[in-house]
Amino acid sequence: MLFGRALNSVYAQLVSVITVDHLRKTYGRVVAVDDLSFDVEAGEIFGILGPNGAGKTTTVECLQGLRSPDSGVLRVLGLDPTSQGAQLRQRIGSQLQDSALPARMSVGESIELFSAFATQPVDSGELMSRWRLEDLRDQAFDGLSGGQRQRLFIALAFVNSPELVFLDELTQGLDPQARRSTWELIREIRDGGTTVVLVTHFMDEAEHLCDRIAVVDRGELVALDTPQGLIDALALPSIVRFTTSEPDLGWLSELDAVESMVRRGDQVDIRGTGPVLALVASELVAHGIVPLDLRVDRPTVEDAFLALTERHIRT
Amino acid sequence: MSTARGYLAMTRAEIRLFRREPLSVVFVFAFPLMMMVLLAAVFGNQQSDATSVQNGMLVWRGVTPANYYTAASVAVIVAALGLMTLPISLAGYRERGILRRFHASSVPASTLVSAQLTLALMAFVAGTAVMAIVAHLAYQAMLPQDVLGVVVALLAGTAAFGAIGLLLATVIRTSRAALGIGLLLFFMLWLISGTAPPRAVLPAGLRDVGGVLPLAHLVTAVQDPWFGFGWSATDLAVLGAYAVAAGIPALWLFRWE
Repeated sequence: MLFGRALNSVYAQLVSVITVDHLRKTYGRVVAVDDLSFDVEAGEIFGILGPNGAGKTTTVECLQGLRSPDSGVLRVLGLDPTSQGAQLRQRIGSQLQDSALPARMSVGESIELFSAFATQPVDSGELMSRWRLEDLRDQAFDGLSGGQRQRLFIALAFVNSPELVFLDELTQGLDPQARRSTWELIREIRDGGTTVVLVTHFMDEAEHLCDRIAVVDRGELVALDTPQGLIDALALPSIVRFTTSEPDLGWLSELDAVESMVRRGDQVDIRGTGPVLALVASELVAHGIVPLDLRVDRPTVEDAFLALTERHIRT
Repeated sequence: MSTARGYLAMTRAEIRLFRREPLSVVFVFAFPLMMMVLLAAVFGNQQSDATSVQNGMLVWRGVTPANYYTAASVAVIVAALGLMTLPISLAGYRERGILRRFHASSVPASTLVSAQLTLALMAFVAGTAVMAIVAHLAYQAMLPQDVLGVVVALLAGTAAFGAIGLLLATVIRTSRAALGIGLLLFFMLWLISGTAPPRAVLPAGLRDVGGVLPLAHLVTAVQDPWFGFGWSATDLAVLGAYAVAAGIPALWLFRWE
């Protein structure tokens, strides 16, 4: 038993790229992060999801050694970010919120400048083509659109071939197409062995991109699981929708999986849990009703997130 | 090795940015040069003026007004960089999150500061050369008699005004405030330090105030070797004291955001 626990902890140290143990950070009387603990494993895309002001940015800034925690133990790539920040920042990449470059510095110049501080710089030509920056090489930072700036900042996060990257609001300001291609590139980077910590308040981004998600609210960890795990754990209802002219559907309410049924004209919405779709469908067929538009809305990470943070407010 | 590479890249980047910034080009190159040309034109280049005395002082320090202003205007370049270019750019960097960006990408503060100071030195050398050549061609003003002495004075001035500029950059929050405060300090110093009217013609009170402040010391520290009067140890020492007095708190108070 004891041996097993020791082995577990050794294992955790081996695969954990980040260990956060009881992190607390306050600004004056405002508690930004309160007693937060989690581990990030090597090679995963780890999402930190929370409403505005939840302490997400503060947490990742502490992890990069850009802020000092009030208390708690942090370990990032085996280093203490507070006392070994300079050493750590050589090995991590970082895309920050609210940062900028000198107004008249061009895209090409900024990549050249940041490469000069990297111990293992990547090929700048390849970096620029990957993030579609070649055509912007001579553009001054001031003249870039929001999306172009964002792509430049993401590229700069990878300039030093990092083992671990922090991406704070990855796709802020990107158009839908650029978001999708950015997600694809981040997955490629993860598949190349780089661990990714993603701070976001976009639910779809967390759901599509993250291997695991930590939901934080008001500085506390509310849940930590895979996107599907978050949804399953809450046993949130699905909604089965279809239209029919059949006047009496009372027999559907008899099904165990069905929680409630709402009817507006021909439109029927059935809330339920578990295999509600299959049960409703078979019952409908048995009654000779075969709607063409039968479909189910499964709960999303967004539903899980709202349920979790709402529950957190109430408690 | 990577620190040397970083320093060179940062210096190169800062030089490019400096060239693209009209404000710094105006105040560092155009303004001192224009003032030298205009003041020399106003006060002339008569040898007889060299010996004129007022308030018990040689008004033009024993040289013609054109010579006097050539060397004095070099000191103005230093003051413009220290009081305006440096704090405006650093405060702007902090205000806009550029320092945050640098910090996260392991750019050491020392690299940032030394690149700024290198840029300042290069600007002085270029500005001084242009000043000397223009004055020589326009007024047959003398070229520096003791080049090493002038270089040492410029180094001492860089240290003093660089430190003051850094201190301003740490205490002033925004680049707009830095511009306002920098302009105020710059013109006040310019008027009472012998760079505009010679100090001999100032009322005693203003002369005393100017005598405590660094620009008047930089003016004589540059003028003495320029005119072949030797090195001014006292002025160099005062500039060194300013460098230490402003530099230590500046580095102590330096913040990335």
